[in-house]
Amino acid sequence: MSPSLRPLCQLAAVALGLPALFAADQADDTVRFNRDIRPIMSDTCFHCHGFDEKSRKGGLRLDIREFALKAGKSGEIAIVPGKPEESEIIKRLYTKDEDELMPAKESHKTLTPEQKELFRRWVKQGAVYEAHWAYTPLNAVAVPAMPAGGRNPIDAFIGAKLAEKKIAPSAEAPKEKLLRRLSLDLTGLPPSPAELAAFLADPSPNAYEKQVDRLLASPHYGERMAVWWLDIARFADTVGFHGDQNQRIFPYRDYVINAFNANKPFDAFTREQLAGDLLPNSTEEQKVASGYNRLNMMTREGGAQPKEYLAKYGAERVRSVSAAWLGSTFGCAECHDHKFDPIKAADFYTLQSFFADVKQWGVYADYAYTPEPELRGVNNDSPFPPEIKTTSPYLQKQDARARQEIAAFAQTKTDPAKVAAWIAALQPFAQKNADGWLKPAGSYEIRKTAMAATPAKKGAKAAPSPSVGTPVAAAPQAFAAGQPIALKKAPAKGENVVVALKPGALRVAAVRLALPEAKAGSRSSLTVGFAVRTAAGKERKLVAGFADAEAKDFKYAGGAEILGLGNTWSLTVPATGTPSAVWLLDAPVDLAEGDALLVAIDGAGTQPIQVSVTPFGGYDPLTVGTPPLSPGNQAVAYLCSVQPARPDFEQVKAMAAKLREYRRGVAWSLVTEARAPITVRILPRGNFLDTTGPVVLPATPSFLPGYRQSTEQQRLTRLDLANWLTSKENPITARTFTNRLWQIFHGTGLSAVLDDLGSQGELPSHPELLDWLAVEFRDHGWDVKRMVRLMVTSRTYRQSSSLRPELKDIDPANRLLASQNPRRLDAEFIRDNALAISGLLNAADIGGPSVKPYQPDGYYEPLQFPNRTYVASKDAEQWRRGLYMHWQRMFLHPMLVNFDAPARDECVALRSASNTPQQALTLLNDPTFVEAARVLAARLLAKPAKEDRLNAAFLLAVGRGIKPTERASLEKLIADQQAYYAAHPAEATKLLKIGLTPPPTDDPAAHAAWTQACRVLLNSHEVITRY
Amino acid sequence: MTDLPFIAQRTRRHFLRDCGVGLGALALGDLLGRETPPAAADPLAPKPPHFRPKAKHVIYLFMAGGPSQLEFFEHKPKLNELNGQPIPASFIEGKRFAFMGSSHRVNLLGHDKKFKQHGASGAWVSDMLPHTAGIADELCFVKTCRTDLFNHAPAKLFMNTGSGLFGRPSMGSWLTYGLGSECANLPGFVVLQSGPRGPRGGASLWSSGMLPSTYQGVPLRNKGEPILNLSNPGGVTAAEQRKVIDAVRQLNAGRLAATSDDEISARINAYEMAYRMQTSAPELMDIRGESKATLDLYGIQDPGESSFARNCLLARRLVERGVRFVQLYDTNWDHHGGVTENLQKHLPAKAKDIDQACAALVKDLKARGLLDDTIVVWGGEFGRTPMGEVREFTGRNHHIDAFTMWFAGGGFKPGLTYGETDEFGFGAVKDPVHVRDVHATLLHQMGLDHERLTVRTQGLDLRLTGVMPAKVIKPLLA
Repeated sequence: MSPSLRPLCQLAAVALGLPALFAADQADDTVRFNRDIRPIMSDTCFHCHGFDEKSRKGGLRLDIREFALKAGKSGEIAIVPGKPEESEIIKRLYTKDEDELMPAKESHKTLTPEQKELFRRWVKQGAVYEAHWAYTPLNAVAVPAMPAGGRNPIDAFIGAKLAEKKIAPSAEAPKEKLLRRLSLDLTGLPPSPAELAAFLADPSPNAYEKQVDRLLASPHYGERMAVWWLDIARFADTVGFHGDQNQRIFPYRDYVINAFNANKPFDAFTREQLAGDLLPNSTEEQKVASGYNRLNMMTREGGAQPKEYLAKYGAERVRSVSAAWLGSTFGCAECHDHKFDPIKAADFYTLQSFFADVKQWGVYADYAYTPEPELRGVNNDSPFPPEIKTTSPYLQKQDARARQEIAAFAQTKTDPAKVAAWIAALQPFAQKNADGWLKPAGSYEIRKTAMAATPAKKGAKAAPSPSVGTPVAAAPQAFAAGQPIALKKAPAKGENVVVALKPGALRVAAVRLALPEAKAGSRSSLTVGFAVRTAAGKERKLVAGFADAEAKDFKYAGGAEILGLGNTWSLTVPATGTPSAVWLLDAPVDLAEGDALLVAIDGAGTQPIQVSVTPFGGYDPLTVGTPPLSPGNQAVAYLCSVQPARPDFEQVKAMAAKLREYRRGVAWSLVTEARAPITVRILPRGNFLDTTGPVVLPATPSFLPGYRQSTEQQRLTRLDLANWLTSKENPITARTFTNRLWQIFHGTGLSAVLDDLGSQGELPSHPELLDWLAVEFRDHGWDVKRMVRLMVTSRTYRQSSSLRPELKDIDPANRLLASQNPRRLDAEFIRDNALAISGLLNAADIGGPSVKPYQPDGYYEPLQFPNRTYVASKDAEQWRRGLYMHWQRMFLHPMLVNFDAPARDECVALRSASNTPQQALTLLNDPTFVEAARVLAARLLAKPAKEDRLNAAFLLAVGRGIKPTERASLEKLIADQQAYYAAHPAEATKLLKIGLTPPPTDDPAAHAAWTQACRVLLNSHEVITRY
Repeated sequence: MTDLPFIAQRTRRHFLRDCGVGLGALALGDLLGRETPPAAADPLAPKPPHFRPKAKHVIYLFMAGGPSQLEFFEHKPKLNELNGQPIPASFIEGKRFAFMGSSHRVNLLGHDKKFKQHGASGAWVSDMLPHTAGIADELCFVKTCRTDLFNHAPAKLFMNTGSGLFGRPSMGSWLTYGLGSECANLPGFVVLQSGPRGPRGGASLWSSGMLPSTYQGVPLRNKGEPILNLSNPGGVTAAEQRKVIDAVRQLNAGRLAATSDDEISARINAYEMAYRMQTSAPELMDIRGESKATLDLYGIQDPGESSFARNCLLARRLVERGVRFVQLYDTNWDHHGGVTENLQKHLPAKAKDIDQACAALVKDLKARGLLDDTIVVWGGEFGRTPMGEVREFTGRNHHIDAFTMWFAGGGFKPGLTYGETDEFGFGAVKDPVHVRDVHATLLHQMGLDHERLTVRTQGLDLRLTGVMPAKVIKPLLA
């Protein structure tokens, strides 16, 4: 690797530089295997002399002492403890003979003289081996003496190392910086000026701890932590492969947010995700959690081979689970024994075998070349079973709110006296028909009927039009009130039954079809149309509005259930109850005495059909009819049925259309459903076609303590795996988790390579501290908030983040933590931060379906199967937090991509933090940020002129007052822009209408000028950085 | 390790880099009354290669879907002779294909295309590609390319990233990671697309994988703004935007002076680059200044209309401006035999879409002296089977055992046909070239050793060519 390429992989550079840093001035000169030798061996020796038998050269194995001390093929002994001069390995390091030299030339690796000397000394000192740190049992660690000013044991560990180097820690950060850091770290949101003022004004010694408690109790804590876990769980809204179709799983995200907020112990969190479905009497929440196992990418591609994709899914799951909980890289072992770690191919497949019972399909479709009867009828718009029906508190809340809004709107638009009069006039009707539905007498006939021209929606069947066609039966059959119609013979193809109802003089707002004698499990599909026939025999078509039924077939568009019925009601009759469907009439029709309401039905068959009508209208087919009681509902019914003003009714229709999107609070979510386990074999070289490998049963990784394996009698389950992961014996889960938490609060993990604690990763900078934290976590109930509190209340965390130039050479990456590390915010928080600063952020709601912020037009154009058009959210959902953004794996929102959010096609433990022109373009030009700037400008301009608006802007944006140079620069810009926009009012108008927020009504030049200044502020490095 | 004379070569971009961060930075220096900050933080700064390169740029013409080598380059009279008869079982035993068991057939499929040898080199090209035939002596044909995966998205990933898994860096990302960018006002890795929809696999094909997003491919869009979020907000002219960026720079510079944080100087650089892109990208896309002769050469009728031909011309303009890696995707090359994707009607139309422009690009680069250090690559993610597929019309299935790619310029041997396939064009009988070998060879021409261009990830020094053996195909090189 050329020196110029290496620094690009910062972690690798850190990994390589670190042992030297910490080895440099040890009190004694003992060479330690794990600290000094293993990293070099792992990098340069193990590839040919390690765990993997197949690539072993010269019969030499160096990872196990016993073998290293034996003669290799050449007869020479690699290591003779205490005698470097007799050890072949030392000779080979120092030889001048190029053919003999190690590492071999082909490896492109060389050792420095210092590294060679380390090897020599290590052999001289007896070549003592140590087990790899991450796999050794986790035991209690003694806490070093507390340094002066230390706040908790973390500071003792950090302080001990600093003291060794004679480095003083940094002073505590100023209060305002501290609160901004803490707020961004714990909630992903900046402190409000009021929160900041309260903290600054709190002189109590535990003022800071009070803030920690406040923020840990905030529901935004769960949102912040979820962002991190969702990367690990590879949560996304789409399936990733091929058509990258939508999948339904947002309740899993809610589960994660709630779990962090409720401080669910990590062992329970683990069990529920891996095996929620296997828990005794598992709750809905636990089932939703088991959706974790379904977050692998999936395909529905025609031509794809199910077996191949099942192998892909299985392998990905092993990679994700091992990265998430074991901090280990099992990926290599799919094809061969790991070259650097003791992970065997068998470990890969025994781990995979735990998940052999997860019900799934290789290809989620029923293609002719691979029939899947259970998936019959599935198309590119369908969801990805198995799923469960669950409720979403967010949707329920929105549903209730929207219903109230409609009722309130109706009350403002109607005259209470008239509403009361209308209700009173219908009293006799309501008394006669307690449920609000009248089953009038009438007649029916069979007509040859042409279908209406074009169906409104793709796939919707044309409505039969009752006003055309000629009767085929000479005499219509009469039926009595309350009687269903029942044909003796099903109408022929192209024929419909036309029912003529004679309810007398009545305004009909909705029509209901019920199937009173339908047999459970039978199928029906009825297509309807409506007309009125006057007493004089004149027919006029009626327009059907929204229709719905409780019992119906689900139809899908883009993975989501299509709302309502259209003209056709298809269903499989449920086991209980009388199925019915209701069509609203748009508009309701006034029938005079003698008029008939015609209902044409295609597909009636011979089953009894009861048709009824109601004068009590509304916007919801499932609740109309019932005589309304509350004033709000009466007003709605009156507005919709009597329609005193058509525009008001149109408004209710629009509000109702939005309301329906809340789906009555119902949500579906991918879950794990257990089935009989499929056979898992070791696949030679990962080849799914090769069935020569042995069948394996579930077992925990063989190289980790607490080994558990299946027996012939008892097959281990996912629950066993989860229990082992969070057992006392398994040392690595606690190390992995606490190491990642550390990264959140300090920018770098104690072991920097978060996804690999194996020998290619990094020996921790403070191994004892990591073990101490891991033991604390494991032995105190896997309490996440407790660990977070420990970390953020330490002196180490509270230090200033100012760079320490004097330490640049001693500790260039600040691994000794003599100060805090500034860090650019993650993508979602860059968005949240800008929205919060501006006041636009819609932070009141927690959880719920994904939302769609503004996105450049045509960005989804390449998506097909099915084609997709991105429609940005049109209401307050537009300003929800970044973690709710629609996560399209193949075409992730450009803002997320540009700020390094991963596509989540696999487990990601650490995001990179790039610094690119595309980030600049996003912050400068993405409408989200322009809108935030103009709303912030309005927020500032709303303050009285005598207040210091620019200072207020800085307090909002960076939690500090403005500096004179900054003021000079921005005042100059504002003056210049004010003049410019005063001279160019049309330009100001253009700028001020970006985004959904209504433009300001006064002084556009000032608003535009301040918008420009706010853009500057929101683009500054400080705003997107946590210090 | 590196040879000095090469390092001593300077470009305009080196100059800009060494001087700080361009014009804005010069002003910044004045503003602060101190030295401009070091530009060391720029991850796209040009970097020395492993050895002296033959080429500096790559233009990769990717025919997404898998073009048929049998209708274009592989003259196999046996196919017509044995049309409709099953291919000998020995060829297909144990093999697997997409759409097994439905439309897939084992019967050989002939065709009515006329094949001729062209140029002094005598390369076989069918009458479907007359323009390509006309530059046969410039091209280096490899008849025996092979890949591992036979579904579109995984195979495209494999061709671009050396792996069928998502999350790996693409070739263009590897190159900009290894070599940096020579262009100060456009991204180092640019993607252009033509044909309906985009290539299967989407943005993962130009993803930087686990490399920082600095190295991801930037799609230049044919409709709307050429780069996402490139346009100033409504009501903000270029002059006003400049004032905003200047004020941002002042805030950041103040912060930089106070903190000495390198990230801030990188941020200042990024804003300057963004500003330059706002001017240079629209200028790049505006080809109205090209001569009529040039437009005619490419077959461009309307300079404003998006097409593969226009993308070829844009590729030349990008390379002229120093862009390292330009990838063109042209979609709809998946001729299975369906109503919209068959060999009778659609393959000829696709051939017509690309033939003239491909040839024009090579000629144009040559005429401008750019071909010597620009590699032009033509190919798809796989080829098509000698056996026919019967749907509504006829077509061919995906085929991974042998397919044709061609290379031009950048030190590839012109007028060479390399590798031989059997009588049906099913498999290689001589000189097979795996995708990994193609990658190794391309990196080699760019001055990079595929075994040394690595990034440490998940415990492995990952490389474009992966862990299986890969080699530079020396006979292809001049």
